[in-house]
Amino acid sequence: MFYPQEMTEIELIVPERDVLPVTRLLAGEGVFHQMDASYLSSETELGGADYWRGQSATYAALERRILAIMQALDVDEGQPLPAAETTMIEIETVRPSVERLEQESRDLSEELARAQKQLEQLQRYIRQLEPIADVEVRISAFRNLRYIFAMLGIMPVDNMERLQTSLARIPFVLLTLRKDSQQAVVLLLGTQHDSDILERAARSAYLNPLNLPEAYQGTPAQIIAAIREDMERIQQHITERKGVITELHDARRRQLQTLLWRVRASRMLTDAIARFGRLRYTYVIAGWVPTARLDSLVQRLNQVSGEILIETSRPKRRNGGQDVPVALHNPGILGAFQQLVTNYGWPRYEEVDPTFLITLTFPLLFGTMFGDVGHGLVLALLGGLLASRQVRALRGLANMGLLILICGLVSTVFGFLYGSVFGLEDILPALWLRPLESIMQILMVTVGLGIVLLSLGFLTNIINAWMVRDWGRLLFDHNGIAGLLLYWSLIGLVARAFVGPLPLNPSVLVVLVALASLAVMLAEPLTRLIEGHRPLTEGGMGTYIVQALFELFETLISLLSNSLSYVRVGAFAVAHGGLSAVIFILAELVSPTKGVGYWLVVALGNLFIVGFEGLIVGIQTLRLEYYEFFSKFFTGGGRRYTPLSLVPTAGE
Amino acid sequence: MPKGGVSGYSAVHARVRAMYSTMLTAEVWAALCEAPSFASLINILKDTVYGPYLLEVEEKALTPRRAVYQIKQHLANAYNTVIRLVPEHAQPLLTQLYRLFEVDNLKAVLRGIVTGASWDQVRYVLFPLGAITVLPAQAMVEAESVGAAVELLRGTPYYDTLAHAMERFTAEQSLFPLEVALDLDYRRELWKDINQLSGRDREQALHIVGSLIDMDNLMWAIRYRVYHHLSEEEIINYTVPFGYQVRDEDIRAIAAGADIAQVLARVYPDLTDVRSLLEEPRRGLPLLEVRLQKHIVERCREAFIGYPFHVGIPLAYVVLNELEIQDLTVLIEAKSLRIPVEEFRPHLLMGCGY
Repeated sequence: MFYPQEMTEIELIVPERDVLPVTRLLAGEGVFHQMDASYLSSETELGGADYWRGQSATYAALERRILAIMQALDVDEGQPLPAAETTMIEIETVRPSVERLEQESRDLSEELARAQKQLEQLQRYIRQLEPIADVEVRISAFRNLRYIFAMLGIMPVDNMERLQTSLARIPFVLLTLRKDSQQAVVLLLGTQHDSDILERAARSAYLNPLNLPEAYQGTPAQIIAAIREDMERIQQHITERKGVITELHDARRRQLQTLLWRVRASRMLTDAIARFGRLRYTYVIAGWVPTARLDSLVQRLNQVSGEILIETSRPKRRNGGQDVPVALHNPGILGAFQQLVTNYGWPRYEEVDPTFLITLTFPLLFGTMFGDVGHGLVLALLGGLLASRQVRALRGLANMGLLILICGLVSTVFGFLYGSVFGLEDILPALWLRPLESIMQILMVTVGLGIVLLSLGFLTNIINAWMVRDWGRLLFDHNGIAGLLLYWSLIGLVARAFVGPLPLNPSVLVVLVALASLAVMLAEPLTRLIEGHRPLTEGGMGTYIVQALFELFETLISLLSNSLSYVRVGAFAVAHGGLSAVIFILAELVSPTKGVGYWLVVALGNLFIVGFEGLIVGIQTLRLEYYEFFSKFFTGGGRRYTPLSLVPTAGE
Repeated sequence: MPKGGVSGYSAVHARVRAMYSTMLTAEVWAALCEAPSFASLINILKDTVYGPYLLEVEEKALTPRRAVYQIKQHLANAYNTVIRLVPEHAQPLLTQLYRLFEVDNLKAVLRGIVTGASWDQVRYVLFPLGAITVLPAQAMVEAESVGAAVELLRGTPYYDTLAHAMERFTAEQSLFPLEVALDLDYRRELWKDINQLSGRDREQALHIVGSLIDMDNLMWAIRYRVYHHLSEEEIINYTVPFGYQVRDEDIRAIAAGADIAQVLARVYPDLTDVRSLLEEPRRGLPLLEVRLQKHIVERCREAFIGYPFHVGIPLAYVVLNELEIQDLTVLIEAKSLRIPVEEFRPHLLMGCGY
């Protein structure tokens, strides 16, 4: 819970004959995070990475073909098969089935597509002809004119102006017969003498001339009538074919779904094998397994292959774990808050997983800012509804629901502490204080809360640095021991100035500030000194000191700004009370006699507070977590643990 | 999403400034130019902002093409970041600017189909757009014909344009009409998005994106005339009538056969020695394009000076980043083919040349 799950590196040497059952087991168990070991294969080795990549590509092509058939027959993918039925299917077994099904569906779908295209083409002819439907001239009269060049056609509207510009030096007429937002039916007229220029210009402006099939003869009106008859006939044909497709859909649905999932599983298995190393008689498989699942996996592997060699090693967190995949294990409530951490970044293997910290601090900060029994309960109900997965459309927000539920409950607790229910402050007694009446007190308390949280951030960074034995970061970093000492000494001096004498002598605090500042300033040379690197600085001491002074100044500014950032927590608690008061004032303005209008404004105002202020407070809490708190210790950039599986994950 | 001004642009401004500071320094460029081989070039790049993308791939699999593909992921991330952070009214322009890579991908896919290339040959030539793309690229490459591939684009913004241009493809059996139609349509949409903006944002967008359109338009007109020997009316129809500094009269003058050097001198008075570049077009036109791109680099750098809360900053950064990657691509290709520095140096915008 405090760290990512402990992982064990596992390397398997598998005899060639057992490679399929072993791969199937690894994928079926869903705990093995595979590493690419294909670089171990020799280029020419039979059954090496290239062979399996080829197999995988063939399965992928078959999968696409099956999906195309399913799309043509309107068949859905269905559910993945149970693990026991998910075996590798031979390409030579599946290919004939796919070809047969393809043949059945292809003829039908191609016939349909052809008919559809025909319909569209006829529709285009009609669109071009309709504007001249009342012209009593045979359409062939437009062709082979002796003196006049005439071209009836369709072109993109955007090209019309450019076409006219391009013909500026010759006489021409461009008649727009019909126009929509995209295309226009036009008649381009000029002299036969300029026909070359006109044709070039028309072609380059994408004016597609009307090229009616020979079968359509007569006046535009006659041709339109003939085309409409043909369209009706084609439409009838399409309806008949669709009926046949429906029959085929019912007959082949189950077979197609089974085939799809078996081919898909085979593709995933071959994909995995392509990343194995191929030795002469064996395969090398490398990857990671959560240590807690290792024994059961090893036991099952030994059952599947009697000659398998298994080597495991457990890296120490202290050695850093850039390559170790990170699996976070945060059950229940923690799981809801884990997504706030992973939205920011995946922790590294050796880093503290801050999920438990955010689970504690996020609702606390939220509740402090949004303390109200009524509003809190509304949020909790809303969160409960989302978390219950009762509303189908909102199921994707179930995790978020749990988070809202907890924040709502903590808001309710703070509502009792502030004595506020739906903004009314005269119903419940305040168990602690009323923010609007004790502004300074709440602001001071929240800054104090900020100091505690920031110190927690410093401590977490110190633990992280200790874990990887990064002494420089641990001792001298502005977020390490030196930084924490500087922070607390400064707080001591400020507290002495405002609160009064402290048990500690002020000169001790001044010395501590000076020492800690010096350590932060000289962090780089000191780190290099203890790590035995030389020279201690790069680019000369003078430059370094100027740079270090600026960095110290920046550190001091950020300590101040980080702490003062938490003032907003108190400010929002005050604003919440103020906003609620404004709603009651508005309600009284609308209806001084406390009629329907009064309660309508109160209800709408409260909804506004829950929705709008709740959202803003949520964002502010997230901001405090990410920018003030996480920035103290969180490095991120960890590699996500993605176990091998027979079923594609959401991203695939 | 916030509106413009300080509140709207403060977050993206801070983020872009941070990203801008990670652009390669003159020292790194010098080291890259002097790198003795492709492998050493990659080693230097691994210590830069491109490092994490290169480290994603096993060294053995890191071919020059794959390296360029990996590096481009940085630009994809930069675009995604700025599009997410800019105010809502500026998002369409940046998204459309980003779509240029999708148009280029579409062209690469169509070329792949015509040349009979496999998906494996095409995939790393494409820009890594990630989930934003609407192109079913693999299915298109595996389609039997250009027509079938275009049919797969139904419902995308490219379908109408390509479906209309298919008539010419069928008649001419050349991708030229399809590619030109895509290019023109893309620039028109870009221009519309610029004109949706107002005030300082529009001014900055014209300054940067308008200059990009100028360059493309000029180079098209020159190439259509010099390489393809197209007629005046064709050149006019294959170019656009808008831009920042380049007027339609300039394009029409080039189309009508006017002295190209004179036209360029009017538009870019600082551009010298153009006539000698035009004397030998095969060698000179790529160098002319580099000179025009340097002009765009200057425009982008100007955006970082003065009042910072406008769309110019994110636009300038993504354009500069794209040009930086263009230079890296030249370097990677040059190093893998062992081309001497003096031969590739003139083709670089930001590195070695300074």
